[in-house]
Amino acid sequence: MESIIFYILAGANTTLRIFFVTLIFAIPLGILFAIGKIAGGKIIKGILDIYTWLLRGTPLMLQIFFVFYGIPQLLGIKLDRDLAAYIAFIINYTAYFTEIFRAGILSIEKGQFEASKALGMSYPQTMRRIVIPQAIKRVLPPVGNEFITLIKDTSLVMVIAIPDIMRNTKEIVSREASPETFIIAAVIYLILTYGIVFLFSKTEKRLSYYD
Amino acid sequence: MKVVNLKNIEKSFGTLKALNGVDLVINKGEIVSIIGPSGSGKSTLLRCINHLEIIEQGTIDIFEMPIANAKEGEKTKYISEKELRKIIQRIGMVFQGFNLFPHKSVLENIMEAQLTVKKTPPAEAKAIALELLHKVGLDDKEKAYPSQLSGGQKQRVAIARALAMQPEIMLFDEPTSALDPELVGEVLQVIKKLAQEHMTMIVVTHEMAFAREISNRVIFMDEGKIMMDGKPDDIFVNPTHPRIKTFIERMI
Repeated sequence: MESIIFYILAGANTTLRIFFVTLIFAIPLGILFAIGKIAGGKIIKGILDIYTWLLRGTPLMLQIFFVFYGIPQLLGIKLDRDLAAYIAFIINYTAYFTEIFRAGILSIEKGQFEASKALGMSYPQTMRRIVIPQAIKRVLPPVGNEFITLIKDTSLVMVIAIPDIMRNTKEIVSREASPETFIIAAVIYLILTYGIVFLFSKTEKRLSYYD
Repeated sequence: MKVVNLKNIEKSFGTLKALNGVDLVINKGEIVSIIGPSGSGKSTLLRCINHLEIIEQGTIDIFEMPIANAKEGEKTKYISEKELRKIIQRIGMVFQGFNLFPHKSVLENIMEAQLTVKKTPPAEAKAIALELLHKVGLDDKEKAYPSQLSGGQKQRVAIARALAMQPEIMLFDEPTSALDPELVGEVLQVIKKLAQEHMTMIVVTHEMAFAREISNRVIFMDEGKIMMDGKPDDIFVNPTHPRIKTFIERMI
């Protein structure tokens, strides 16, 4: 029993690694692309629209397969499993964060931009100091949802044989015919997602200082 | 010095002609009130001065520097964003809806542009902010957030925020229109104080008594045009034009 738990926890390590690597890249990229969609020229907007449409419009599993099996064949390169997973998750989650941050930025009153401009602030200064901080507070709930979804989505990496929680669980279940292993996996997922819920409610409280 | 010099400016919103050939010169030290019915183009005119609205025709000189230029028969062209910002930061603006930064404290609101635009050292920016808070009568509010203030207090902070950039002209866009009647006085008091210091000001307002009291020049606008431009008494005591007369009678 103990060894089962440790084996699955080793998988949790992979799950968390994918989780953090994805967020570290996808959040800043999402903010950047959101600004691109709002303030960019026609070409940038067009490219970003196609990008979010493709990535949100196709299954993440298909994207993982495509990056791991498709791209190496097309380009004649070799892709490490982990790297393929990172790439697939980052491009997929960036698409969602782009849309969330776009909505957040658009929800900021026009007066905030006008006041900043009237004070002589540049557009990047206005974004960085005035608009984005307010937008982040507003998008906290949907971003929290994405975090939770991401924890659960990481289980998809088992399809390219990365030993995450899900794959290690399934391995034990088929080897030892111990269906209670599923419950252990579920509990680990629940602990992780509860951690996220807790962190977000804390952050929301912390940012409510100016309501 | 001609602080503002607008020549024949035109501005449309869709099919609506908001400004239809406006000429306006504002000299240093003048305190000008712009009055007129809603939709007459007062606010639009004000917003053209600091590039919050973009004109289609005509020319704009600010501080005797061209910011929008037009060759014969061509659309107006603006100078670069960077050059524009240098001029805009010398113009203070106060909005009807305050537009304070809600995530920043009162003190931070007043320090923000000093730090980011003027690159004033933080200690100095703070000293300036505190001094201005004193000036607008809000000494004890430096740590408050905008949401904790009344409308009148918010507007006074907004005035302090604009003054922190040491502007050479102040634009007021209906500064008391969003306020409860009992809070109007405290804001007008602050603007009056600025008038006594001979700050160059343009005030779009519906407060006729106030306009008459503080300004040395009043402009009446209607349908995107300046209908009358004169001394307060010319407009308030003997308005020649029947439209102005009806308007004033209705307002007072």
